[in-house]
Amino acid sequence: MGMQGDFLQLLKEQGYTLGAPTAAGAGHALTNATTILAFKYRDGVLVAGDRRATAGNMVMYDRTDKVLEIDRHSVMAIAGVPATAYEMVRVLEHSFKYYRRTQLQELSFDGKLRAVSKLLKENVPAALAGTGAVVPVFAGYDMEQSAAKIYFYDILGAEFEGVEYAVSGSGSPTIRGILHYLNTWGEQPLNALPQELAMMQALRLLATAAEFDSATGGVNREASLYPVVKLITGAGVQTVSDATLKPLYESKVVRYV
Amino acid sequence: MYEEPYRWVEAVGNRRRYLDDQFKQGSPVVALTYEGGILLTTVSKGTPKLYEIYDRLALGGMGHPTDLEKLRFSLLEMAHVEGFNRSPADVTGSRLVKYGIAPLIKQAFEEVYKAPFIVRILVAELGLKAEKDSLLTINYDGTFEETTGCAVLAATSAVQTKMLSYLKEQKSSALSLEQALDLGLRGWAIGSLAHQQDEADPQTEVKQPIRGMGSSAETIPSNEALIAHVRSLAGERMVECAVLERQAPGSSKYRPLKQADLLRLLPTALQSVVAD
Repeated sequence: MGMQGDFLQLLKEQGYTLGAPTAAGAGHALTNATTILAFKYRDGVLVAGDRRATAGNMVMYDRTDKVLEIDRHSVMAIAGVPATAYEMVRVLEHSFKYYRRTQLQELSFDGKLRAVSKLLKENVPAALAGTGAVVPVFAGYDMEQSAAKIYFYDILGAEFEGVEYAVSGSGSPTIRGILHYLNTWGEQPLNALPQELAMMQALRLLATAAEFDSATGGVNREASLYPVVKLITGAGVQTVSDATLKPLYESKVVRYV
Repeated sequence: MYEEPYRWVEAVGNRRRYLDDQFKQGSPVVALTYEGGILLTTVSKGTPKLYEIYDRLALGGMGHPTDLEKLRFSLLEMAHVEGFNRSPADVTGSRLVKYGIAPLIKQAFEEVYKAPFIVRILVAELGLKAEKDSLLTINYDGTFEETTGCAVLAATSAVQTKMLSYLKEQKSSALSLEQALDLGLRGWAIGSLAHQQDEADPQTEVKQPIRGMGSSAETIPSNEALIAHVRSLAGERMVECAVLERQAPGSSKYRPLKQADLLRLLPTALQSVVAD
């Protein structure tokens, strides 16, 4: 059946299932403890996320990478249960490669979106049981149309195009309003921001989310811990190094009161 | 009637003759290690013969396109399922060949009631370090060989030996990509010429086993003559090249060389061939 180039199908034939419901069942409140954001800027899309992973009130880990590269031109930022999210990213990564190598052409951008949607749908039982909900933001550069695109999803796999920006996670309500304000009444709309200003806004937005949401990690300068910021342009995905974020953070984000 | 052992041996023998015959029209494939990785090259007639299998694995083939496709899919499936279930580092050429497709090919070859795979396959694996690069070839009967440095697929084993000895003699340890491409195509021309000769004069093949006097008398064509041979065929065929590059960004190291790359890298005498 590999003739269709469908990797998930191939895995299923081998007995693989994603997101089987567990016995624990209903009762877990859905907490998507994190903040991820994506917005279009002048050269493409910027995707950023904080680095905290929590379990209830506990901080599990402060160096999580929630903005994951799937291939040269697409990124999935994840909010929700990390185990399921990482697994999804692994499936997607292999799916896109498998498609390209078997069919001898790249999977179209729409095809990639559909693949994300399908995985989320497979995962519905686990999402409803409260043990595997994932609410991702998918961003990428559509090479055919030479355009940056952002999509966000609900836990059931419905796909929405975030025209200018998209957010997810527990810290997102705080910054959603800010993004709307910036985009509508800011000095320039988000999609006109040059790279440096875009990175600055991303850092400020994440700092705001961390201020009001305990599950969103802030910057820890002593430990040189900065958010993950990725830029996707026609040239591919580029991860912004801490060395670039540090001076930007110190000069444009920190306020000495 | 194949139940009798003698009949079976006879049938397998017939099969060898039949298969040897099938490769007569085939184009040789050359794989060479160079300073930046591994180069695969051939001069093909329309259907591509070089493919990406996994992050660090490439495939070159000779034979029937449909059989090659079938085996390519088996390799892709095995590699991706293994890479997903374990890790990409566990997907190695030698495992895929030895426990994956070589047994399949052997079985198809020996089941005399069924059709065999009409293919010869080359699997190139880029190691993390240059000394870990490996090249595997599999014949239509499932025999495989693992080598380093260079490997070829050719119509007959005599031609194969000729190409390999030429490549080994001419190859220095650290070739640039341009040099590797030049050498690869010359090696291909050696194979193609030797094959033409065999076709024109079938007796030479019989004489071949008498080594020593025969091979020294045989002159190796000059570099120019070899390149000219590739050029002469360029009208009906096309130069196909792919590399596995150790320093390539990202996890996939395979890259087919496109027209623009070839224009830059090919020996000057051949550049006009890809220009149009």
